[in-house]
Amino acid sequence: MRDPTRGLKLPAVLLSVAVVVCACAPAREAPVGASASRERWFGDTSPPAGNVFSFNLGAEPETYDPSLAAGQPDGRVARLLFEGLTREDPQTLEPLPGQAYRWDTSPDGRTYVFHLRPGIRWSDGRPVTASDFRWTWLRVLRPETASRYAGFLFQVVNAETFNNGTLRDENQVGLEAPDDSTFVVRLTSPVPYFLYLTQFYTCLPVPRWVVEKHGNRWTLPAHIVGNGAFTLDYWRQNNRFEFVKNPRYWDASSVRLDRIVAYSIDDLNTSFNLYKAGVVDWCPSGYFPSQFIPYVRPYADYRHGDYQAVYFYSICVTKPPLDNVMVRRALKCSVDRDAIANDLLKGSRRPWGNFAPSGYPGYDNPPGIVFDPVKARGYLAKAGYPGGKGFPKITILINTSEDHRRIAEAIQAMWKRELGIPVEIENQEWGSYLQSTTALKYDVARRSWIGDYLDPNTFLACYLSGDGNNRTGWSDPRYDAMIRAAAREMDPARRFETLRKAEMLLLDEGPVIPIYHYSTNELVKPYVRGIYQTPLDIHPLTRVWIDRDWQRRAASVAARQSKVAAPVEIR
Amino acid sequence: MSLAGFILRRVLIIVPTLWVIATLTFFLIRAAPGGPFQAERDIPAAAKEQLLHKYGLDQPLHRQYVHFLVNAARLDFGPSYKYPQRQVREIILEALPVSAELGGWALLLAILVGVPIGVIAAVRHNSTVDYASMGIALAGVSIPNFVLGPVLVLGLALGIYLLPPALWHGPESRVLPVLTLSTAYVAYVARLARGGMLEVLHQDYIRTARAKGLAEPVVVMKHAFRLGILPVVSYIGPAAARILMGSIVVESIFSVPGLGRYLVNAAFNRDYTLVLGEVLFYAGFLMVLNLAIDIAYTRLDPRVELA
Repeated sequence: MRDPTRGLKLPAVLLSVAVVVCACAPAREAPVGASASRERWFGDTSPPAGNVFSFNLGAEPETYDPSLAAGQPDGRVARLLFEGLTREDPQTLEPLPGQAYRWDTSPDGRTYVFHLRPGIRWSDGRPVTASDFRWTWLRVLRPETASRYAGFLFQVVNAETFNNGTLRDENQVGLEAPDDSTFVVRLTSPVPYFLYLTQFYTCLPVPRWVVEKHGNRWTLPAHIVGNGAFTLDYWRQNNRFEFVKNPRYWDASSVRLDRIVAYSIDDLNTSFNLYKAGVVDWCPSGYFPSQFIPYVRPYADYRHGDYQAVYFYSICVTKPPLDNVMVRRALKCSVDRDAIANDLLKGSRRPWGNFAPSGYPGYDNPPGIVFDPVKARGYLAKAGYPGGKGFPKITILINTSEDHRRIAEAIQAMWKRELGIPVEIENQEWGSYLQSTTALKYDVARRSWIGDYLDPNTFLACYLSGDGNNRTGWSDPRYDAMIRAAAREMDPARRFETLRKAEMLLLDEGPVIPIYHYSTNELVKPYVRGIYQTPLDIHPLTRVWIDRDWQRRAASVAARQSKVAAPVEIR
Repeated sequence: MSLAGFILRRVLIIVPTLWVIATLTFFLIRAAPGGPFQAERDIPAAAKEQLLHKYGLDQPLHRQYVHFLVNAARLDFGPSYKYPQRQVREIILEALPVSAELGGWALLLAILVGVPIGVIAAVRHNSTVDYASMGIALAGVSIPNFVLGPVLVLGLALGIYLLPPALWHGPESRVLPVLTLSTAYVAYVARLARGGMLEVLHQDYIRTARAKGLAEPVVVMKHAFRLGILPVVSYIGPAAARILMGSIVVESIFSVPGLGRYLVNAAFNRDYTLVLGEVLFYAGFLMVLNLAIDIAYTRLDPRVELA
């Protein structure tokens, strides 16, 4: 599809303005029986003309090649175009049968046998086979591919050595395709969250023949072939993606949208305006300014829930005085999380004293760090700086952002007040900030971490010695041993207990000061069905639909609730 | 001096200037901390090595520099690091028409609206029309577009759902960004046109023309206009380069997929190739436009000679 708007002529503008005026006029009138909806919903509530769903993708994806994708927008596009062995339940994110219709697990939990659905096809008509999955996963692991998420598959036998180039023979990697419909995965240890990984975008299959023919450019709309519920119809960088329903998708009958339009709008105010005007039907979490949350809270569009992400300060432990565990404890205990979350951020976030977020099924967080200035001063005295005397100046590093600065100023004031230590704030733009934290050239830095799968391991494994995401220089053999033991443990209860102990150690001695628990804050139009609030902010969009009758439905629900047989206006 | 000789001389200056710009940009962007493959989520060391190797970033800097210069001379800036499926040249060629369309409309509006206002204000010097139009023009010059844009959106796109508040999708989406971008230029052009015309209208040859008994419209349009408009012409040249290459603010407010947004993001992302490609393109475009303006000058004012 070409951009139909090239070569604008003035009469065309006037005409279209007139058309827009006419089109808007009737929509402004609230239908009978729904007069209350005028205040209940934010902005325009007229459904789109066809079965078309529009949303803001946020930043332009760097790539939507699933094997290389790294960001959230990248993943959202990849998940529309491709489907993995399993797919997420839209509400719970539990794995549902996807391209595999069933799977078996060996008793030791180390071997998974996936049985592919008969008759599944790529969008070009070729059958989807087990060797497509094997080739894709090997592609993710191949060092030449340089996949950022290759580590996701390191639990597969020999995957890590294959990825770092020491093992050359791909047949020794624990991936087999004995026939077209059977895919066997052998793991080094029983990974309890392995099925969650099979729906993650890194594990989505890619068409070998297209990738080999077009190289880096295989994802362009002219070349791309997928096995998902939608195909890519149009793409313009920094503008929009348009997806159309894939008739070859195995479950096409449950796909009710004809088209999905995903705009790449990176300005948060603009994103908010477009939602209000009804140009986008869904404004995902994080895509409108957080200062607006108190303003939109009364509207029914606003959805709010826990998000598996934590905002924290990390401490670089390589030089004095921060190498001293007593100093770290003092810093941790003198941060008043409640004041930050409730006063500074107006309750839009939840104060959080743990490193792993809440809500992992089966995991019980240990007691978190609490604000206790008396204890904090005691720790500081034990470290040899009573009342902060002789404590060298430390610097809080933030990346440039108004919110980060406000929080840093609050913490600076808390440390000065409770501990009497001199604190400075330094802000750097994103690239420099990443370089500084990676090179351990900082004292205390703002950081945040987002879970990839529903298990605390996605957080706790970051602080293994030398892990690339550790970035503090902290290393403790006891901690490493616990995380590794948990990975080998078959019994879920014992495994979580080990992880819990590891988190306790991390909170007590480690280099992190948790501050708040992220939450999702999104806006959804009343006529959009099938988008649910989920803890990972992953939203399977393939089964979303547009409810043209939402007002009638809302009115009848209201009527039922008030138990009055009110006449219902039917359009 | 002949026109061809003049152009040749100017081109001979443009080439070394571009080389200096290319060299400065190359080393400045490399001096910025971090690199294109740095991310919040760590990349495995092996993967990073492969990426650096793939893009030749593991070679010594001087070799990378020579490689870049040789390719840049052929207008090949290589693939974008941030968007690996695209070539820098492709990105520029896709975004330029968008910025140029937005800028073109704004520029056209600036000339078609600004010049008549300025001329009328000058002819009706010290009248109510003059004061009113110059008052509005002063406001237009003073209001920054990051204020004007949101105010227009608030009024026309959110107060009443008349126009889309942003996006580059359909003809109606052009209205607000063009208005936002052009207002300051309309106002400035009006002031320049008025100033230029006023100066010319007081000159002797205009008095002579009037003394000959020429009708006032002929005096203004035929005799005064050509010279009075010169300040506008000399302003339009550099302004055109700026306006056609994309406005960072307007493109962000209205989510327009133009060059301005790429340039800012490329610098933040350390997308070396995209930064270099855009900077060189911008510089070249600016110099060529200036050359075109100098040529236009000689056509408008016979007293100006090519030198």
